[in-house]
Amino acid sequence: MKRWWTQLTGFLTAEEVPRWFGLSLVLIYLVGLATVTNVGIRQARRETSAHFRGSALYATEMLVDRLASLPDPSLPGGQNSPYERAMGEFAAHVPVRSVRLLNGERVLASIDPSDFDGVPASTRSLAIPSEMEVTPLRRSDGGAPDLFLRAAVHSSTISDPLLLEVVLIGEPPASISFASHAGAFSVLLVVLGAFFVVYRCLREQLRGVARIADRLYAHRDRIRDELTSLRIADSNGLDGVTTAWNELVNLTQHLLETVQRTEANQELSRVLQNSGGGALAEALHAVPDGIIHIRDESRVDYANATACRLLGWNTHGSSDRTLDGADGSNASQQILSLIRGSLGPDGKYEPCTEVVETEEEKGEPANSYRVWVVPLTRGHHSGECVILIRDVSQQMRAERAREEFVTQVTHELRTPLTNIRAYAETLSSGMFEDPKVITECYNVITKETRRLSRLIEDILSVSQLEVGSIHLAVDNVDLRALLTDGVRDVRGVAEEKSIDLQLVLPAKLETIRGDRDKLAVVINNLLGNAIKYTPRDGTVIVGCQMSGQEAMITVKDNGIGIDAMDHARVFEKFQRGRDPEVQSETGTGIGLYTAREIVRRHGGDIDLISEKGRGSTFMVRLPHREGRAAALSTSVDG
Amino acid sequence: MARILLADDDAHIVRVMSIWLERHGYDLVTASNGAEALEVLDRGGIDLIVSDMNMPVMDGVAMARAIRDRGEVDVPILLLTARCDQQKLAGQMEEYRVLVYPKPFVPSKLVAEVNRLLGPVPTTP
Repeated sequence: MKRWWTQLTGFLTAEEVPRWFGLSLVLIYLVGLATVTNVGIRQARRETSAHFRGSALYATEMLVDRLASLPDPSLPGGQNSPYERAMGEFAAHVPVRSVRLLNGERVLASIDPSDFDGVPASTRSLAIPSEMEVTPLRRSDGGAPDLFLRAAVHSSTISDPLLLEVVLIGEPPASISFASHAGAFSVLLVVLGAFFVVYRCLREQLRGVARIADRLYAHRDRIRDELTSLRIADSNGLDGVTTAWNELVNLTQHLLETVQRTEANQELSRVLQNSGGGALAEALHAVPDGIIHIRDESRVDYANATACRLLGWNTHGSSDRTLDGADGSNASQQILSLIRGSLGPDGKYEPCTEVVETEEEKGEPANSYRVWVVPLTRGHHSGECVILIRDVSQQMRAERAREEFVTQVTHELRTPLTNIRAYAETLSSGMFEDPKVITECYNVITKETRRLSRLIEDILSVSQLEVGSIHLAVDNVDLRALLTDGVRDVRGVAEEKSIDLQLVLPAKLETIRGDRDKLAVVINNLLGNAIKYTPRDGTVIVGCQMSGQEAMITVKDNGIGIDAMDHARVFEKFQRGRDPEVQSETGTGIGLYTAREIVRRHGGDIDLISEKGRGSTFMVRLPHREGRAAALSTSVDG
Repeated sequence: MARILLADDDAHIVRVMSIWLERHGYDLVTASNGAEALEVLDRGGIDLIVSDMNMPVMDGVAMARAIRDRGEVDVPILLLTARCDQQKLAGQMEEYRVLVYPKPFVPSKLVAEVNRLLGPVPTTP
């Protein structure tokens, strides 16, 4: 019982409902149609019979008139044939069983007179009717009754009226009956065909509707949470309704997500705008990179403090925050131009990362900014993006300096190597025979080898300074000996340029604590630079003074000098002065850096007094008192 | 006897290469920078220029451009350089028909290159 009920409810609620519903509709419709058709056919038959009967009566009246106009058949010379011919023609057009014309009891003319035998005697009479009499004759086979007609024929040639009797067949001919039913059948067939088509269409539509209804009933409690569960699986193929339904579900899901995101964004914007200096805004203001949020292609929704500073916007107001502006070479113009350029013709921002570089002007060094344009594709907001601006000037300078350093080091290594190889091959070829010349060749090779070693030492020192592994072998350092040796090492180079190299020392010089070799590198680097950047016939003076707790070594020249703008730069690693006169000389940009780092590790420093075109004075300050020297030995030794 | 103009501010290179080139039968003229080299070239009779790249006053590149710009297209120029981007330099100097020769070099190979450019010259005993 239960199973039957389950099957029934299953059948009623499952996807088969349309089929069941359609079949029921078909049955109801067919019954109704059959009833209506039956009534229609009956009505048509009645109308056909009535029409047939009227036509027959009219034809009979015409026959009466025609017979009346014929000559008397009983007159001499008269012929029966005209009467029979007229009746024959009548019988040819009207379905009759028999026709006869009587004069009293005498039959003047007849067609199939035997059929009058079936006419009941009660209806037969010789009396002449005043009007046409019509009497139905019941048939023994149950068919439609025949009609017995009696009419007077008033001939102009006979004094007594004649009597015309006709037995008409009651049913219309088969051709007339078929014609009257064919129309009804045609209508029936067309209606049935149309109904079938309508049924098919309705069935397909209703099947999809039923599947949708099934989903809705099954997931009615969690529609909001699991909208996608309402999708119709396409295991059996999707028809138009279910496909459209799935699209509707997808669209609704998309809209729901968009609404949720929009609500969240609005809430975040509201909080940010209301709070003004809220925690998040404050945090973003503190970020060292510039951050800009752009909405609707060009509306600046947010800009943090760094971005405002870089682009010259007011931090507290948003009225001046616009992406418009003339193209130009300064940072803000270039950055704004880049942002505008990343907006495509379709109103969407294209992702891009570019470095914007400004030119050096009015004492301001060239700066580099890396700009990221990150498009946001939330919902339908295509013209939305976040801009990140980072000052990479230092990195770019360092990168350029490193490249320049590699170039310079390569050159500095190859130049002495060239001389060494050239002289070595020349010596081995036996081209020089003079022992003095041979000795000179060996001296050149030795000198260039020393130059190479010094360069390699410098590079190693830089590496050690970089990783903090430089080791000072602290001992008592005799300043007089240190400076005398330093001057002696470069005297040959100075003489090549006819430079007057002087060493001016006080009578008494104290010893200091320090690493003699490292300090020798300092003196060598300072003297090397002084000679390199002093023109021929110039002067370089090396001096030393003891003052307070410090010993001050000075290296003074009357060379090309250093622009005030470059005073700090020349001590930076891999950096050299930007003066063309400096650039024309080879150099690695590590000499002054190494010198200052070594001095600083001794607890001192190097100061620079210089003016472009008027020479330079480097002042090396080193501690010499026992206390500081002891501290140095414990802090750096080892 | 083919005449070679050797331009270099490094006296050691000038000295060594002078010996090598003269021993191989070339007549040698020297200059210590590009500007001097142009003056020497004006006097005529130079068949080949061997020049350093880094020189004061006028470097080897500027000298080569000046020579080509004033229409002296036939004299071969051999540019010695210790730069690390020698291939890039060679590409840049191609339009001036300048051969870039890397430092450090071995004198005998440089002489062989000169021989190749000028054709074999009988060496003096």
